[in-house]
Amino acid sequence: MQILRLLTVATGLALAATTALAQTTVPGVPRNETIILENPEGTIKNPGWFNIWTINAGGQYTGLHQLALDTLWYIDPERGLDGVWENSLAADKPIYNADFTEMTVKLRPGIYWSDGVEFTADDLIYTVETQIKNPGMRWSALLALNVESVSSPEPWTVRFKLKRPNSRFHSLFTVRFNAIWIMPKHIFEKAADPQKFNFNPPVSLGAYKIHSHDPDGKWYIWQKREDWQRTTLGRYGEPGPKYAAYIDPGPPDKRVIAQLNHNLDVVHDIAPEGMFTLSKQSPSLKTWFKNFPFAHPDPTLPSVIFNMQNPAFQNRDVRWALALLIDAKAVSMASYRGAATLSPIGIPPTGTHPDDYHIPLQDWLASYEIDTGKSKVKPYDPNIGNQIADMLRPTMKEQIPTDPTEIRKAFGYGWWKPNPQAAAELLEKAGYTKRGNAWHTPDGKPFSIKLMVEGDSRPILTRAGTMIVQQWRQFGIDAKTEVAQGTMLDRRNAGDFETLISWSVETYGGHPDLSYFLDSWHSQFVAAPGKTQSPRNWQRWSHPELDKIIEEVRRISFDDKRTVELGREYAKLIVREMPIIPLMAYNVFTAMDETYWTGYPTAENPYANPVPNWGNSRSMMVKLKPKQQ
Amino acid sequence: MRAYVTYLSKRLVQFAVVVFVGINITYLVTHMTPIDPVEQSISAATSFGSTSPEAIEMMRQSLRQLYGLEGSPWEQYVSFWKRILVGDFGPSLSAFPTPVSQLILRALPWTVGLLLVSTLLTWFLGNLLGGLAGYYRNSRILRAFGVISMGLKPIPYYVVALMLLIIFGFLWPILPISGGATMASDRSNTLAFALDVAVHSILPVLSLMAVGIGGWFMGMRSLVSNVVTEDYVIYAELAGVKGSRILRSYVMRNALGPQVTGLALQLGAIFNGAIITEYVFGYPGVGSLLISAVHAGDYSLVLGITTISIVAVSATVLLIDLLYPLIDPRVEAH
Repeated sequence: MQILRLLTVATGLALAATTALAQTTVPGVPRNETIILENPEGTIKNPGWFNIWTINAGGQYTGLHQLALDTLWYIDPERGLDGVWENSLAADKPIYNADFTEMTVKLRPGIYWSDGVEFTADDLIYTVETQIKNPGMRWSALLALNVESVSSPEPWTVRFKLKRPNSRFHSLFTVRFNAIWIMPKHIFEKAADPQKFNFNPPVSLGAYKIHSHDPDGKWYIWQKREDWQRTTLGRYGEPGPKYAAYIDPGPPDKRVIAQLNHNLDVVHDIAPEGMFTLSKQSPSLKTWFKNFPFAHPDPTLPSVIFNMQNPAFQNRDVRWALALLIDAKAVSMASYRGAATLSPIGIPPTGTHPDDYHIPLQDWLASYEIDTGKSKVKPYDPNIGNQIADMLRPTMKEQIPTDPTEIRKAFGYGWWKPNPQAAAELLEKAGYTKRGNAWHTPDGKPFSIKLMVEGDSRPILTRAGTMIVQQWRQFGIDAKTEVAQGTMLDRRNAGDFETLISWSVETYGGHPDLSYFLDSWHSQFVAAPGKTQSPRNWQRWSHPELDKIIEEVRRISFDDKRTVELGREYAKLIVREMPIIPLMAYNVFTAMDETYWTGYPTAENPYANPVPNWGNSRSMMVKLKPKQQ
Repeated sequence: MRAYVTYLSKRLVQFAVVVFVGINITYLVTHMTPIDPVEQSISAATSFGSTSPEAIEMMRQSLRQLYGLEGSPWEQYVSFWKRILVGDFGPSLSAFPTPVSQLILRALPWTVGLLLVSTLLTWFLGNLLGGLAGYYRNSRILRAFGVISMGLKPIPYYVVALMLLIIFGFLWPILPISGGATMASDRSNTLAFALDVAVHSILPVLSLMAVGIGGWFMGMRSLVSNVVTEDYVIYAELAGVKGSRILRSYVMRNALGPQVTGLALQLGAIFNGAIITEYVFGYPGVGSLLISAVHAGDYSLVLGITTISIVAVSATVLLIDLLYPLIDPRVEAH
């Protein structure tokens, strides 16, 4: 029994000893000078690897591409620090010749690497030539396909001769999320093999340099450069935080706990329920929207994607019937607990897109008519946002906006009214019949649909898919969800699905040009059935009108006003053809804590996307101010 | 002695067969998975970024060459065994070109440290308290401990882990809730770093002990309950031998045999990692590495980890088999 007493005392002493130790203290790095951000990549398997020019070899969102690297241009998905377009290492916009076979770049002088070496045209040329010479590098294929030669006809000028006309060549060097980052020639030219060189410690071109990193890949700390003025971010002023730590805070519950304990300033993303907990318990919480739905709508568009090579979905009436069976309010509640920003068109309702597309298309959408064969219906409901707001008001009370403009920004600019009658008529028009409670295909088989969802790794979209399947089943379709888990990417790429909840639309957000995703939707890139489809036309859809739009986009410049008109034509075509059923923006529940820092980007001050793994989240650093002195 | 040599030879052959079959099964399973490491790498490298379908096709071909995935299945299989036999697991496909062995060696000390401590502590305390509970059957404290440990045992592990996180990480935030050590801690200061690691391991160890101790406790209590009724124990009591000596030398020692076997098997299994523990507590071990490798379709890494695990478990079983005839005269070497 003495042993038992000894054990009790020892346990007590051990617990008492640990009381003195704080949960997150960073020796030598003062907390009030440090911003701690979540790295959604989690633990980095290969922590000492900073060579981002190799494919998937080390961490990317560890602060490396946000704070240490730089490239020619940035497009902000919101409004930007000084406009959406930012000339970063380039002094001006790209200059193309008349037929888009040459692109000239004027470089910004006076920018230095963190080891004191000046950035020059040689670095840009080296970046391009090295990747062309080494086919296994990250941007090798893109550069090899496009670049005939690259040269510097005069200091601070680089000229690309292209293998074929490409009016969007500059987009390879334009950060939306990332881009081709510039390599330090003076470092890499000493490496025997650039593909086997770990670039550790990295020299940086950004305003921060590496301070330290976890040998086990849990955290990276970056320190503000003393010569931050000699970086491209320097012209916006001095970055606020002296240190920035990108960490793996663990599963969602722990992120909530860490922020409530003020040990994590920026949570990248959590489930809506986690955000609701923070909004109730954390007085220092800052979110994109001041109130519900809190989240930042990313320029990505989760949709129901039809496999258009499957005969079951080749009839437009069938696709429209399935869209009219969806109750978007229920999907919004099931997926985001009501915090979804809906979009009826194939463009995410975020950044500047509502001004360019959603608002101007309202009249067209309201008058859009479907001929079911028995009747003509106008399916658009511009008031769905109000209805969602009304549904949420009893529980979320004053957190729900009342201003109609705010409601549209938060919940979207409308969606399709559920209309089972019209859906039934459309199916009948397509030759389908209803026997008892079950619908049958024209050849007499039960109408069955499998909707593939990702599962636990993407719970919000899985919940959306489950709700849609339930709605289809209630109508008499034998619908089922298929949980793909880790096989999602492979099955999506191989076309091994009937329908799928995912996204094939990603845009700049801050710029109306849609070529970022739309170019890959050209029929020339649609894989044959059974072959692997390359991004992003997962629906494997082709249409002559779409090809015409894309080909015209290719012929005009990025900033041509016609891009918006062509974008609207694309949006109308998607409504008519419905190869995907667009649902909503990919809302990211980024939670920011104001205990140590203020000045985060919000819907009221949208100078940047707050989601911390985006390359352009670097803008945040110059706006952040310390709260505690 | 000849009998023992024959026994040894048989067991060694058995060991080699088990390892060979185990590695082959793992090879088959990993190569039959629909997750393609090339597609995973392409997706990770191109998601959110500007790209073109033609470039992706070129990248796909380059990666197949780079990852050594070209050639017939038989050629790949032969090349795999050639490498395995010299202890080379090849480069990781999800952290190319870093060798798999380098990734495993970085994670292994954390897992082994955590699981060795928790397994030994759980085993020691469970058996000690179980032994005491079987011997001192009227002790209220031990009965209460029995009720608590048996109550915790059926609760799913992750629930216990989350409860501990909420209690010691949020309601009474005295313990670190994530990682193996404090951010930016000085690893050259060995003592301070060891203390830091120990503090970070308290919650994971506690969670593993909470659900693991009940089994050992119950097993040992039952064994001791049987042993105390043996004639030699009763005789010792009648002969006036001190209670503590009876417990230590007559009861516990005789009851420990099956528990030692159980311990050996558990020690062998520590190379698998504790996947849920490492996930919940953000511990940088082999379990997390294995899960990330499975998700990325990195079969080089999966094979590396499972091969080590197969060899470790088989070696432990072999060791027990070899030692038993020497330790326990009731077991004969045939």
